[in-house]
Amino acid sequence: MNESKQSPPGTPEISYTVFNDESQLKAIQGLIEKELSEPYSIYTYRYFVYNWPQLCILAQHEERYVGVIVCKIDHLSNPELWQGYIAMLAVDPEYRRQGIGSTLVEKAIEMMKAEQADEIALETEQSNKAALRLYDSLGFIREQRLLRYYINGVDALRLNLTVSRRSSDASLS
Amino acid sequence: MQGITTEQPTDFQAATAAAAAAAAAAAAAAATVSAMRTKSESRDLEREREGNSISEQDEWSVSECGFNDPEVQRAMRGGSAAEDITQYPIHGWVDVTQEFHEACAELLPGELAQDMLFGLFEAMSAIEIMDPKMDVGMGFDKFDLPPPSFEAAVAMGAIKLDALEPAELIGVFDALFACLVSWLEGNSMDQVLFTCLYLHAPSQIQDKALRVFCIAVRNLIVVIKNIIILAAVNEEEDFQLYGNSALLGAEKAQPATIAGQLKDVEDELVRKCKKLPPAEDQNLMAVVHRLRFMRHLFQAIYQVELMASAESAEEAVNEIYKNLNVASELLPLIKRTIERGTQPVEGSEAPNPMGFSPRIHDRSQPPTFPRSIKIRERPASYQFLEEMVARFKYACKVIRHKDYYSALNFFIEYSRKSGHCILSRSVLQNLFSSSIRLAHGKQSMKRFLRHSVQAFNSPPVLNLKHPVASDPKVQQHLETFFRYCTNMNTFNQFIRLCGFNRARQRDKLAHLIENFDPLQVDAVRLDSLMNQLANERAMEGNELHATALKHSTHFSTWVLYNCFRAMLIYLMSGFELELYAVHEFLYIYWYPYEFLVGFLVSALTRTENILLAQEEYAEHQSKLQVNGGGGGAGGKNRKAAKPKKNKKQQRPYRQEIIYYHALLSLCGGMYKAMGALTKDGRVRLPMSKFDNEEIRYNRRFAPFVPLTSPPPVSYAEFKSIRDHMMLSSVEELYSVAAKHFDQARNVLESIQNPEQEILDLLQIARTNFVVMNVLARGHQKELKRQPEFDFSKHTYFPIIKLK
Repeated sequence: MNESKQSPPGTPEISYTVFNDESQLKAIQGLIEKELSEPYSIYTYRYFVYNWPQLCILAQHEERYVGVIVCKIDHLSNPELWQGYIAMLAVDPEYRRQGIGSTLVEKAIEMMKAEQADEIALETEQSNKAALRLYDSLGFIREQRLLRYYINGVDALRLNLTVSRRSSDASLS
Repeated sequence: MQGITTEQPTDFQAATAAAAAAAAAAAAAAATVSAMRTKSESRDLEREREGNSISEQDEWSVSECGFNDPEVQRAMRGGSAAEDITQYPIHGWVDVTQEFHEACAELLPGELAQDMLFGLFEAMSAIEIMDPKMDVGMGFDKFDLPPPSFEAAVAMGAIKLDALEPAELIGVFDALFACLVSWLEGNSMDQVLFTCLYLHAPSQIQDKALRVFCIAVRNLIVVIKNIIILAAVNEEEDFQLYGNSALLGAEKAQPATIAGQLKDVEDELVRKCKKLPPAEDQNLMAVVHRLRFMRHLFQAIYQVELMASAESAEEAVNEIYKNLNVASELLPLIKRTIERGTQPVEGSEAPNPMGFSPRIHDRSQPPTFPRSIKIRERPASYQFLEEMVARFKYACKVIRHKDYYSALNFFIEYSRKSGHCILSRSVLQNLFSSSIRLAHGKQSMKRFLRHSVQAFNSPPVLNLKHPVASDPKVQQHLETFFRYCTNMNTFNQFIRLCGFNRARQRDKLAHLIENFDPLQVDAVRLDSLMNQLANERAMEGNELHATALKHSTHFSTWVLYNCFRAMLIYLMSGFELELYAVHEFLYIYWYPYEFLVGFLVSALTRTENILLAQEEYAEHQSKLQVNGGGGGAGGKNRKAAKPKKNKKQQRPYRQEIIYYHALLSLCGGMYKAMGALTKDGRVRLPMSKFDNEEIRYNRRFAPFVPLTSPPPVSYAEFKSIRDHMMLSSVEELYSVAAKHFDQARNVLESIQNPEQEILDLLQIARTNFVVMNVLARGHQKELKRQPEFDFSKHTYFPIIKLK
């Protein structure tokens, strides 16, 4: 029942790399723009991929980029808390249902954990069932609903995954 | 490294903006210049740039940019630059092109030079000029004329100011109502209402009907804004308060004159109608109906604003109600005559062929991505208004609710039904706060709360007829407690937050619950002070006072009951907002099943028992008095009247207790059902790699942790209870779940004259009972598919559907 992480036999071999070159930016933009209801300016892409190139992971089938995840990590909202943030995730429609999205998110979480993230947050469209199922299966909780969050008037859900060991024993005592 | 090619002109813009943010000398100013350049200019710059060499970075200096120039500063303070965006400031420009190019040459393709202050927000708010998805100006090409202003439209003869045909009036009026509705739905006033040029300068309109209608709309805007500001339950996603204030301010609002002006025009037109042959007067009557609808709607809303200063809440609300009634009677007539008006041209953005300039304010919008504006269709707009008028009428009923318990119930119900409309929510807030202020005088909150506790469980110390109420020590303790309650504002906040949109309510409830803790502590202290005092009075031989003070749990029960309700609403709102994944349902239903609903039932039962005991005691006392020889005619009457009243009051919370019993069984059913489905392998569980159920559990119940009572329940406790449940076989679990649903059905069926909610819950209980039984018998045993959970009948409970 769970999302399969392993690609079934016969599916293409996917390799994963982190962002390292401006030339990849067009591919990233191309993948993301197909997914999103609203545009991101070039500044937004650059903000992420140049500040946290290690957290921009690309999925590649031979020469073709087929998936990407763009993240950041900082502690601006709370100096005590390193927050990872998944800004964008997209998989080429032709390569869906092969666990690429899942793998990208897992890899990104691993990277952010390695950078001492306490939690990982993101927003997604409330109507995006596929994304919600993916994040549910990874243990994210939907913390907040944001009404009319997107330009097209659709609600968003804010999701959160606590990853650090030290906060697990906090709260209820 | 490879240079920037002309195929990627945007790269250059990014680089320039980035360089601008960098510490490089005058880059900041230059970026502003570059942002104003066209694409081809950018390319030219690029080519130049390639030839430039790297230079030393200069210190950024304020004076260099001219901002220290006193005249520039004066101009900036005066806001003249902001007023006319087409004019550059005259002073303070320094040419830094050269330095800028040199600074840029240091960067690799795509590389960011980024200022500390350039964060995610700035990156996301920045737009790429000339991209039509981002740059609002791209809607106009160079052949486009600027959108006509009022003056221009008049000069061109594009709008008529006099002698409008009835069809034209209907068209403009209907379009304006559609704009009003679109504004109330969260669009910017400038991009909907003020696209109507007639609204810009109504005083210049000669046609009286049109002029007065436009003046009414402008005044309505002002009044609605006031109501929403006063109610303060709006959030940025609900409503945009701000608009072109210069336009709005150009003609002074005089709301008190509106009804009279509208009435005058109506009368004139009606007289005119009478002179027309019967077949020709219908269009004109359709105009009259719209003017009349506007008059009554306006009056109703304006009176809501005035209610704060009314002398009698009842009278004021009666007036409002009368106006709403007339307005709602007019709407069917108006809806039938929409076709008589001029209709919007197909494909045009304007809601009416004449009088609107759709993009007139696009350029004065905040410089972010343009939000698309969709003005509602006319029939849908009137539908909205019809429903809104009905909501206002319903809101008027709040005036009957003079105590906290019933007012809170009303607010919760109202929010469920009208939660999406900001004006309806605001109207309710205003009506209620005026109503309790008028009912309880100046010290409204404190007196309101006193009255509320009395209405809830009538402690003898609050009964002014009881001699113990005048005990100075009692008075002092009560004063302290209610002052504290008023200062903490928690109760008031609970009612107020029901006015926010549903998503925000949950966030606010989380904070509210925390605030109940100090109140609980204080209420427990007050109750124990009363008990102490009972002992003192008993020692003094004052039996009457001692009995009245003894065994007091009134205040702590009252506070706890309200806290439990906040907790239940908080927890269950997560279903409505779709915040819970299916694998989380188990512990979410478990908590109210195991604790919360039971707490509510016992608080209410305790309250009923207290009331009963008090009444029995009072009856006993009055019997003693009667037997003691006071039995005149008056005494007899009193005695005859009392038992009747008592019987009615004995179980005031019976309905609510039954409702909670049903809830308890439904929660139990869902908890056990989720246990069974999980054990049966029919629930998609998260992968264990990152998931930690304990963390999820703790986050879900985090708002309850600060409370002393009820004490927090740790994950370990939950886990041991669940593990114990899970020892049973899957079939047993399904059967137990079915039993719970059957119990719920029984309880719900016992309710006489059930409301729709009860019927819906009944259907859920019945269906789930069947589904659980089917599963218990091993249906689809091999097919481990997660069922569908359909919340369309009720926001708290789903119908479980096997696919």
